[in-house]
Amino acid sequence: MEFEPKILGIACNWCTYTGADLAGTTRLQYPQNLRVVRVMCSSRINPSFIFRAFQLGADGVLVGGCHPGDCHYNTGNLYARRRLAVTRKILEFAGIEPGRFRVEWISASEGNKFAEVVREFTEQVKNLGPQTKFKIK
Amino acid sequence: MSINFKQIEDKLKTEARKLLEEGKVSIVLAYGKGYDEKKPMPYVVRKTSDIENIVFNEYCTANMARYLVRYPRGTKIAIAVKPADSRAVVQLIQEEKVKREDLIVLGIPVYGMKNFKTGETIDSKTTCGIYNPVLYDILLGEEVHGQPVVSPYDVLVDYEKMDKDGRWTFWKKELDRCIRCYACRKACPMCYCDPCFIDQNKPKWGEKSPESQGNLMYHLTRFHHLAGRCIDCGECSRACPVDIPLYLFHKKVAKECEEMFGQAAGMKIEDKPALVNFRVEDSDKILE
Amino acid sequence: MLKKTAIQKISDLAAELLAKGTLIAPVKESAGFNFREISDSGQVDFSFYNTLMSPKSAFFPQTEDFVRYDKNKSVLDAQCVDLNLKPIFLFGVRPCDVKSFEIMDIHFSGTGAVDPYWKKRREATTIFGYAFDLKTPADSADFYSTLNIGAADPEGSDIFMMKKGDGLLLKAITPKGENLLSSLGSLTEASADEIKYFDDTVAAGRSFKTRFTCVDDKVIAKKLEDLFHKTEFWEKISDACLSCGACTFVCPTCYCFDICDETLFAAGVRRRVWDSCMFTDFTMEASGHNPRTKVYQRLRQKICHKYSFHIRKYGVISCVGCGRCTRSCPVNIDIFSIVDQALKE
Repeated sequence: MEFEPKILGIACNWCTYTGADLAGTTRLQYPQNLRVVRVMCSSRINPSFIFRAFQLGADGVLVGGCHPGDCHYNTGNLYARRRLAVTRKILEFAGIEPGRFRVEWISASEGNKFAEVVREFTEQVKNLGPQTKFKIK
Repeated sequence: MSINFKQIEDKLKTEARKLLEEGKVSIVLAYGKGYDEKKPMPYVVRKTSDIENIVFNEYCTANMARYLVRYPRGTKIAIAVKPADSRAVVQLIQEEKVKREDLIVLGIPVYGMKNFKTGETIDSKTTCGIYNPVLYDILLGEEVHGQPVVSPYDVLVDYEKMDKDGRWTFWKKELDRCIRCYACRKACPMCYCDPCFIDQNKPKWGEKSPESQGNLMYHLTRFHHLAGRCIDCGECSRACPVDIPLYLFHKKVAKECEEMFGQAAGMKIEDKPALVNFRVEDSDKILE
Repeated sequence: MLKKTAIQKISDLAAELLAKGTLIAPVKESAGFNFREISDSGQVDFSFYNTLMSPKSAFFPQTEDFVRYDKNKSVLDAQCVDLNLKPIFLFGVRPCDVKSFEIMDIHFSGTGAVDPYWKKRREATTIFGYAFDLKTPADSADFYSTLNIGAADPEGSDIFMMKKGDGLLLKAITPKGENLLSSLGSLTEASADEIKYFDDTVAAGRSFKTRFTCVDDKVIAKKLEDLFHKTEFWEKISDACLSCGACTFVCPTCYCFDICDETLFAAGVRRRVWDSCMFTDFTMEASGHNPRTKVYQRLRQKICHKYSFHIRKYGVISCVGCGRCTRSCPVNIDIFSIVDQALKE
C-alpha cells in the first residue's frame, strides 16, 4: 500500500483558512492528507505545537498565514515569520528533514494557491517517507 | 599577561564596601567562600560585615545575573559580572526584567576560568569568547587586550558537518541521558518563567518522566525559548550533573539568529530581543 | 567465609553472576560512573571512587510503571504491571550507600504500608558492599564519618568486598551471601593472613576520617526546630541555591515521587516518577495555593527533613554523608556546612 502521510495544517483564520474555504467552494481537488487546525493568527502558533505534532505522529506540518503586510492584526505574521524561521532551524539541527515543515503565505482569495501548496507539500512529504524520529512509539 | 584574581577580589571588596556604606545599593551580588577554596559560591552581601567573605578566583564561574530577577523591582543592586554575565544583564534590561537605574554593574574582565567540578580550564570556545564586559559602571581590573579572538561558533564546525541522521543520533543519545533535574533552566539567567512550560499540566506540553519523548520536548522547546536571547555563558552545560553539551545547540540557534536577524543577544541595551521584534523588510528567504 | 579473586579476573566473577541473574554494577559513562545493568562481563569497572547517581535506582527506579490502561476500554481491562525478577546482584556499593538502603526501608516497607515494587526488588537483590580504599584520602565533599559510618563497614551488605593489593577479598555477611559465595567457582579460599587483613581494615575504616563534626541526633533535631522560624538564617543559606533538583536526584535517601498518568491518545500508563522538594510545583495545591514559594522555604524543608523531622519521626538522620549532593550542586551548596553552621548558631 502506498504511504499516505498525515499532515497537520495550521491556518490563520483571516487568510489561509478562508483561502481553504474558497478552495472548497470552488471545488478544487487537493489531497486528503491535510488536517487543518484554525488559529486566529499565525503568530498564535506556539513552536511547541509543531514539536508536539511531530511527536504525536504528524509526518509534516504546514503553517499558513496572511501575506506579510496583510495581517489582520497588522504585525502578527511578521513576528511569526521570525519565530517559525527559528523553529525550522531547530528542527533541522535536531535532525528532522526541513522539508517536513513549511510556512506559506496564502490570502483569502488564493484558493488556487492553497490547493496547489497542499498538493505540492503532500507530494514532498510522501517522498520523504514516514517520520519516525520524533514519533512516540 | 594574566588575570590578577587577588587584585580583583580586593577591588570587589572595596567597591562593595563603598557602595553599601554610601547607601547606593542594598545588596551586592558577588562570590563568597564555599566549603573548599576551589568551590566558591554565589554570595549576597547585605551588610558591611559580610564583605570579608567575598572571594574571587578562577573557579567563580556562576552567572550572578541569574539572581537578579529574584529580588523585588526597585531593589538597588550592585552585581559583579564577568563578560558573558554582563551580556545577561543587558539582555535582562532589554526584556525589562530589571531597570538600568537600579543596577550598579561591577565589570570583571577575565579569561582562563576553571570548571570547579573538573578543575580544568574552560575552553573559551564553549562560552561566548569575549574578554571584557559589554556593560559596566565600575571596571575591576584592567581591560583584556591581545588574547586570541575566538569565534563563539567555531566549536560548531564538527557538528555542522554531520548529516541529519548523525545529528539526530547524537542529540537523541545526549538528551536521553537527561534526568530532568532542571539544573539547566535554573542556572540559566534568561530562564525566569514562572511556571516553566514543562511544569504546566493544562496544557501538558511534555511528559514529566525522564524518557526520550519528554526530554526532547523539554529541551527543544527550551532551545526555542532561548533563541535570540541565549548569551552563551555556558552555565547550563556546566550545571548539568550528567554533562549534556547543551551549549552546542544554544550556540547553533544563536548563530542562525545572528545570521537571520543581524544581532547577537545582550550586546546593546537599545536593542530589542530578536524574536519580539521584526522588520518589514525581513526576507521570506529565512523560511526556506 | 572469606574468599578471594584477582582484580583482573573480575570479569570471570561478573560472567558467573550474569549467568545466575541480573548484574548491576558501576560503569564508566561520559559524566562519571553509574550503576547500570551489565550485559557484557567486561563492562564492570572497578576504578571508581563513587558513582554519580546513587544506587537507590536499583530498588526505586526514576520511572516505575504501575498500571497500563486504555481509556476506550473498561477499567477492569487495566493491567497491573507485575515484576518478574531474576536474582539481582548489586555490585560495588560503598558502605555509606549500603546504609542508605536501611533508611529507605523505613519508608518503603518499615512503617506499615509496604511498597510491593520496592520489596520485591529488595528481596531479589544480593548486595555486594565495597570498602573505600583507605590509602587514598576521602573526597573533599564526603562526610560519612560525621554520621558514624565507617569507610569499610560491612553491616547491611550480603557480601562485603575490599581490595588487597591487586586482589579482591569477599566475605559473606548474611546467610544469603553465604549461599551465593559458596556457589561461585571463580573464587578461591582466603588465607589466615587475609582474614586478619579483612578484620583489620574494617577496624581501620572506623577511624578513617572524612570531614567531621560532632552531630548528635537529638541535639541537631532540636537545634533545627528552634531555627525553623529564623528566616534570616535560611535566607542567608539559600542565597545561592538555584532550586534545581540535582541534589535530591543524586541523593541515596531522597524518596519523594510523583504519580503521573501519561496518556497518548487513549492508551496510557500510570507511573511513579522521582520528584524533588526543590521544585516550585512540588507543593502546589489544586487550589493554586503554594505553601512554599520561596527558595529558602524549600531548602529549609530539605535540610530540616533530613536532619530534624526524620529524627523525630523515625529516630535516624536521613543522610549518609556520601557527598553526592555537594559534588553535583551547580553552585557548591554543601549540606555539611549548613548543618555545621546551624549547630554554631
